[in-house]
Amino acid sequence: MSEAAANPIDRAEETDDGNRPGQKLALYYFSAAMVLFAAQILFGLIIGLQYLYPDLLYNVLDFSVARMVHINAMIVWLLMGFIGCIYWLVEDEAGRDLVGAKLAFVNFWILTGAVAVVVAVYLFVQIGPGELRSIWLINEGREYIEAPRWADIGIVVCVLIFFYNVAATFTKGRWSGISGVLVLDLIALAALYLAGMYFTPNISVDQHWWWWVVHLWVEATWEVLVGCIMAWGLIRTLGANRRIVTTWLYIEVAMMFGSGILGLGHHYFWIGTPEYWLTIGGFFSALEPIPLVAMVVHAVYDAGRHGFKSSNHPALAWLIAHAFGNFFGAGVWGFMHTLPQINLYTHGTQWTASHGHLAFFGAYATIVIAIIYLAIQKARGDVWMSGALPGNGFAWKWSLALLNIGVLGMTVALLISGYEQSFVERALEGSTWSAYFEAQQTPWFVQGMQWRMVFGWITAAGLALLLWDLATIGRRETRPVQVLNPVPA
Amino acid sequence: MPEAMSLQDMFVGTLAGAAIVVMGAFYALFYALAKMHRHRVAHATALASYAGLVVATYFLVDALKLHGIWLWVAAVMVAGYFLAPRAIWQLCVGTHEESAT
Repeated sequence: MSEAAANPIDRAEETDDGNRPGQKLALYYFSAAMVLFAAQILFGLIIGLQYLYPDLLYNVLDFSVARMVHINAMIVWLLMGFIGCIYWLVEDEAGRDLVGAKLAFVNFWILTGAVAVVVAVYLFVQIGPGELRSIWLINEGREYIEAPRWADIGIVVCVLIFFYNVAATFTKGRWSGISGVLVLDLIALAALYLAGMYFTPNISVDQHWWWWVVHLWVEATWEVLVGCIMAWGLIRTLGANRRIVTTWLYIEVAMMFGSGILGLGHHYFWIGTPEYWLTIGGFFSALEPIPLVAMVVHAVYDAGRHGFKSSNHPALAWLIAHAFGNFFGAGVWGFMHTLPQINLYTHGTQWTASHGHLAFFGAYATIVIAIIYLAIQKARGDVWMSGALPGNGFAWKWSLALLNIGVLGMTVALLISGYEQSFVERALEGSTWSAYFEAQQTPWFVQGMQWRMVFGWITAAGLALLLWDLATIGRRETRPVQVLNPVPA
Repeated sequence: MPEAMSLQDMFVGTLAGAAIVVMGAFYALFYALAKMHRHRVAHATALASYAGLVVATYFLVDALKLHGIWLWVAAVMVAGYFLAPRAIWQLCVGTHEESAT
């Protein structure tokens, strides 16, 4: 046996041909994620139309059901995208093949099958009697995490298997700063999901724990996960210096957790929790955009040194879209309505939907798409994806433009509707049941919804072009990937 | 319980909230550019952006009728937005220097 073959780290580096088991599995996850992305957009179009034509699919696919599928599809496609990203980078980071690859493949099919069953039940069974059986088999009834109890337990098992794959691969291979943060974050990610499974008939207590999943996933553990993926992505696309990237990852984690964990308080304003949450939530929410603003400095500093020379232009463009989207969606749109004095009026209106659309797309969808482009490049044989692509990169550029214009347009349209809703329904009419309907008939609200629909179609066109580009880019490319030397500090 | 903002202040209140973050980003951007290229116009723009942030905070405080501990929240926010880009710049220089040695 040669020395290299005896050492799993060296052996893995020798066979780094894009056919490693973890990277193959990542492509499966990316494919499933894109199917669910398409489902998210499809159901988004349906509920957008239902605002304009309330009779559409009435008693067949009601708004409440279609909205649930729209949002759950988004959460699951992002999760599958993240899992795919991590399976893609874990072997690269650990310097060896994935540990427990067979189990990981079985896990993928179980998870995908379970998602298909849950969606089928959402669509064809929809609701059940007010019994525990409905919670176990149909729908748990908690917004955003409606999966029935059996699927909840299944998700925990699947995440534990995923955690084993990742942690064991690093343990048997090599650890790095990125992998250390990643593994710790995965523990938090899995543990926090358990908070959403705690059932109590007290709605305030129930909401208290439910927000642990929703907020602490989105504004803490997902942000850190994305930080890890971004760090690895910058090394791969720009040849960024690993030591610097890792240092910045630590700084980002400290800042995100420092402001994000207690920023949870902005969800506790109106659910019956003690009044001190108004102050805590307001204070830490005011600090939450500071890390995003501060990162602008780092981006300028690094851009000045790197000159944006990249081995994968589509991936880099999506990483830039991520930086801007995260700043505007989470930072600007978040802070606009996060203080309790304002949130009293805006909470739960289309204003929230406006923030949600830009923040989820900007902070999360963009980075998953960026890593998919990196994965596709390698899967197609480490081909050229820098400048001068066939057709001047028409498909990736237009899909990027259409998706970003579409989501930004929806965000602005929903903001206008939300402003009208806050003004009429909340401030003028005092949040009564009749005010809810009255606000939705005002011209500004209706026109906002019409424009949202226009931009929804643009988003759908962008997605169609993205899927076509992912299926075709690099297939006929003969030039090898542009090799970047690590940038000196 | 903080006082809810009045109806006529809703537009100013929300716009001021957005302006704080945008001005904060402009300040950070031009501060970094000024440091990088030793550019006086960029430096002046950074200071003007920060002044815009302070003005936006004033409008937010006024629109939301902030008092007591909420004034401290505003003060910490203004200080945080001033210091964070400077601290990050020092960290940028520090990490790159350390890595180069």
